[in-house]
Amino acid sequence: MKEKIMIIEDNPLIRNELKTLLKSNSYEIAAPEDFSGVIDRVKADHPHLILLDIKLPGTSGFSLCSQIRTFSQVPIIFVTSCTTDMDELNSIMLGGDAFITKPYNTAILLAKIASLLKKAYPAQQREQIVYGDAVLHLESSSLDYNGQRVELTKNELKILYYLFRNGGKICSRGDMIEYLWDNQLYVDDNALSVNINRIREKLTGIGLRDFIKTKHRQGYTI
Amino acid sequence: MNSIQYWKNRLPFLLTNLVCMAALTVFLMACGNSVSAVVLILTVWTLILLSGLTFTYWKRKRQMKKLLAMAEQLSERYLISEVMELPEQAEDQVYYQLLKMAGKSMLEQIGEVERERLEYKEYIEQWIHEIKTPITAMKLLCENHRTAWTKELLLELEKTNRFTEQALYYARSEHTEKDYSVREIALSQVVHQAIADNKYMLLQSGVHLEVAEIQDMVYSDEKWVRFILNQLISNAVKYRKENPIFHIYACRQQNQIILVVEDNGIGIAASDLSRVFEKGFTGQNGRLIHQSTGIGLYLCKRLCEKLGIGITVKSSEQGTAVFLSFHINCLIQEVQN
Repeated sequence: MKEKIMIIEDNPLIRNELKTLLKSNSYEIAAPEDFSGVIDRVKADHPHLILLDIKLPGTSGFSLCSQIRTFSQVPIIFVTSCTTDMDELNSIMLGGDAFITKPYNTAILLAKIASLLKKAYPAQQREQIVYGDAVLHLESSSLDYNGQRVELTKNELKILYYLFRNGGKICSRGDMIEYLWDNQLYVDDNALSVNINRIREKLTGIGLRDFIKTKHRQGYTI
Repeated sequence: MNSIQYWKNRLPFLLTNLVCMAALTVFLMACGNSVSAVVLILTVWTLILLSGLTFTYWKRKRQMKKLLAMAEQLSERYLISEVMELPEQAEDQVYYQLLKMAGKSMLEQIGEVERERLEYKEYIEQWIHEIKTPITAMKLLCENHRTAWTKELLLELEKTNRFTEQALYYARSEHTEKDYSVREIALSQVVHQAIADNKYMLLQSGVHLEVAEIQDMVYSDEKWVRFILNQLISNAVKYRKENPIFHIYACRQQNQIILVVEDNGIGIAASDLSRVFEKGFTGQNGRLIHQSTGIGLYLCKRLCEKLGIGITVKSSEQGTAVFLSFHINCLIQEVQN
């Protein structure tokens, strides 16, 4: 089941780009463009999480937040360019769950969303991801193939997760390194090669040969 | 009070008295008084005159001493006219009026300047908040529509953001008292956020980054510490050598947690080391690398002072290490345990 995220943001460009970003991370999106009836939209749509801007035409994120809190405990992330401590304090006092300042790092934003969703709706998390006959287990950090299992390190798991998620598409080395950095694994070009080789050895060990293919000058794919 | 000057000022009065004495002597002699009687009268006159003058001198001197001492004790000396009593002497009262007028007009001027500065600071803060919306939009656009050149653009956006942040904190460092909130923060989280803020710059300059596992919690303001780390990281990139390696780790020393940002860059000359925190100081490295502004470390130092974080630099030709030392508040820990 896809989680629904509501974006309450008045800048149309940012709203649309946030939509694109979250959609590509497989969330369902609701993004009201009229802020007077936003409370009714929240009641009707039942989003799993709300991204709320503080400065809105005709109203403010703070007042919306306190109104929403009267009927719902849905996680709310304040997204704003105001960085004064009063704003941060206000957002916490009014029941906001997180506070992210613009320009946000998308990786941090996505991580916050994921962790809040996980906390609020514990049962709905996907813990494994399948490609072909291979099954990647995120919780136990391992990979199953034909009834055989191999344990993975943190780096290896993240690399495989990225390849699985882009299943079939070519992933450039630069994008992979960037993704690993977003996940606080600071590997460089050499370390990536080392990791890929190690994964290949491990996979060969359980009979999964040539699972990761090298595309010359482009990157890797599965 | 200068006593010679005081007596010089009394000369006309003394001369008048002398003239009067002479006139009286002539008159008394003409009336047929004996010399001894005249001498007696003149002696008595002189005695009365001298004792009167000495008394006034002593009184004035004490008064002036008191005033000077009062001014000495005031932290804002220009407020002296507000605390002193209204003087008795007519001329003194005029000076008192003048002092009051001068003080008042100066206070008005100061008020004006302060208000202007505050308004300017508020404008800068507002401007920075507004500029962040387009920066965010551009960043999202680039990240959603990746092409060959978006990385370059993201790198430039990262720089733009760093400069706007620097302006914001510069404006804020003047009136910081109300702008920070200290709470318990995980050091590792701040470190990772600061790295994320500089991701494209670090990746592009090929930095090999070693970040140790940091478990420590400290009491500080997250945004400020992040800003300080951002400055340190961007400095390390700016003054790098080939094959740059950065090492970020924390260690405990007595009742302090020390966060270390270490690089293998060009280092800081020993003669410059003591001055790196001065505003506008760029030193030898500044002459080598023209992006030096002399603002980054100055701001770091200022913010650290306000937050009670110790900041020190060690440097050699093998690189530079900056140490941020956070106090562990024993009281808070005791209460929590």
